[in-house]
Amino acid sequence: MSVEVKNVTKKFGSFTALDNVSLKVESGELVALLGPSGSGKTTLLRTIAGLEFPDPGDAQVLFYGEDVTHIPASERKAGFAFQHYALFRHMTVFENIAFGLRVRPKTTRPPEAEIRARVDKLLHLIQLEPLAKRFPTQLSGGQRQRVALARALAVEPKVLLLDEPFGALDAKVRKELRRWLRQLHDEIHVTTLFVTHDQEEALEVSDRVAILRNGSIEQIGTPEEIYDKPASPFVYDFLGNVNLFSGRVKDGAVVIGDTEFAAPEAAGEVDSAAVAFVRPHDIRVTRQAAGPALAATVIRSNAAGPVANLELKRLDTGELFTVQLSKELFQELQPKAGEQVFVELKNVKVFSDDYSI
Amino acid sequence: MLPGFKLTLGFTLFYLGLIVLIPLAAVFWKSSSLSWAEFWQTVTMPQAMASYRLTFGVSLGAALVNLVFGLIVAWVLVRYEFFGKKLVDALVDLPFALPTAVAGITLASLYSKNGWIGQFFTYTDEHHEVQSIFFSSRLGIFVALTFIGLPFIVRTVQPILEDIDPELEEAASSLGANRWQVFHRVILPMLTPALLTGFALAFARALGEYGSVIFIAGNIPMKTQITPVLIMQELDMYEYGRATAIAVVMLVVSFVLLLSINVLQWWTNRHNTHNLA
Repeated sequence: MSVEVKNVTKKFGSFTALDNVSLKVESGELVALLGPSGSGKTTLLRTIAGLEFPDPGDAQVLFYGEDVTHIPASERKAGFAFQHYALFRHMTVFENIAFGLRVRPKTTRPPEAEIRARVDKLLHLIQLEPLAKRFPTQLSGGQRQRVALARALAVEPKVLLLDEPFGALDAKVRKELRRWLRQLHDEIHVTTLFVTHDQEEALEVSDRVAILRNGSIEQIGTPEEIYDKPASPFVYDFLGNVNLFSGRVKDGAVVIGDTEFAAPEAAGEVDSAAVAFVRPHDIRVTRQAAGPALAATVIRSNAAGPVANLELKRLDTGELFTVQLSKELFQELQPKAGEQVFVELKNVKVFSDDYSI
Repeated sequence: MLPGFKLTLGFTLFYLGLIVLIPLAAVFWKSSSLSWAEFWQTVTMPQAMASYRLTFGVSLGAALVNLVFGLIVAWVLVRYEFFGKKLVDALVDLPFALPTAVAGITLASLYSKNGWIGQFFTYTDEHHEVQSIFFSSRLGIFVALTFIGLPFIVRTVQPILEDIDPELEEAASSLGANRWQVFHRVILPMLTPALLTGFALAFARALGEYGSVIFIAGNIPMKTQITPVLIMQELDMYEYGRATAIAVVMLVVSFVLLLSINVLQWWTNRHNTHNLA
């Protein structure tokens, strides 16, 4: 049982928004479509909703085995929430949520009492019961998005599609709302896809993350898989800050400058040019080198926020890189601008040189 | 409150007073040269009563027809791309720009029994003469008033329609609404305030219209004489008091009608003017 797209290609003029994309979302799963702008994530979501149609070919969109490729949005039963909510301004919160039930043909429309009961239940779910009679212009952004979600849920959709649902909200509301979305999903288990360009959001909320780039899915997996075993430099880079060190890879190790660092994943590699990717928090800074290390000068340090950031410059090549360390370590070390330190690289991820981000 | 309130409000009141209220007050003052009995006799004489019915009735009809067709024109201009769209867009304003007498003469010649259009719509009257159905008839007046009223609806609805976010329609259809439901449950309610404004403007313009009507109307008392023509007729006979008395009636009725349309418009647009309590 799943929502599935197969071999979907979509071009807008000469721009390829989706390039032969296939994706399977299991029933009850919450999947994030993550990618930079122009990567095709929104087009993929709209294709599933029936708001876009794939270019002719062998493309297929399947809802639980039923082929809906040529069925228009109004008959697909896919709930869609927009980044800017798209609430009906001239209707109250209550009427917005009831809309999907009221437009049903007479034969399948629930009686008025049942519509009321269902809308009240949804209002309870989104915790906005007291605001039922308000108009959308009288709500905050977070409240509007919750109404938009309830409106989409009212039609009991086969799949819930959220296009950058928190994109227009400020940082604090965003965090609250995405936690709320996760709770909601755990309660009602509706198969959900949501589009985001915020990696933190994708990793925190979803069961699985699909990373899109130039109209293709670059990698799909659980947040841990994606974060710990990125399939490409693009994925690695997209999921967080990263330092790049060019050097050479060899069996189980990477050589940067004159120093050899362990890279267990590179076991069996033949000697070739490579780039080592290291997260800023995977770099240890010391005054005395206790193992393989690079020498560097401290350029700047900044301890504002939950962690301290250091900007360093390699002695041998003059390249800049950043290091993140805990407040405690920072207090212990007290690095001064201009002083020389040693850095040890951990969890080095090596990609061959011909990759580009 | 924004600074400059007193200054701008003062200016607004002064300007409205100078341009609108003083001339209108002069109408009332002039009509007071009649005694109350004379006033009442003038404004309720059968010829005047017939002209009110004709003027308000046909103006209302023309504005209602424009409401429908103006919406369709605006819809086509906003929603579709086609060859010559800019030209059609410019044509819509023509009734605004044309001197009304030119419009009147043009319409009269088009719809006369020998005109391009009139020749296809003729009948033989009791004197065995061929007549155009548009001439000296309510239909002719209706055609003229529809012509001059069209731009008001198109130009008030067009910008609102352009601003409607396509996502609203997408949201409605993803919720299961068919094309017709999307139109009448989502789009039409958002256009209602603009439609009412356009309707009020077209209606008001039709009430006061003179130049484009007189050539086609025939101006037969009790039949096809509109109120502005009746007022002119009184003026021609130097009956200034009687002319202004009839004008006062038009003024008061028009004001009441426009005011109620404004109230209705405010009411339909209330969800946009609400503030957080």
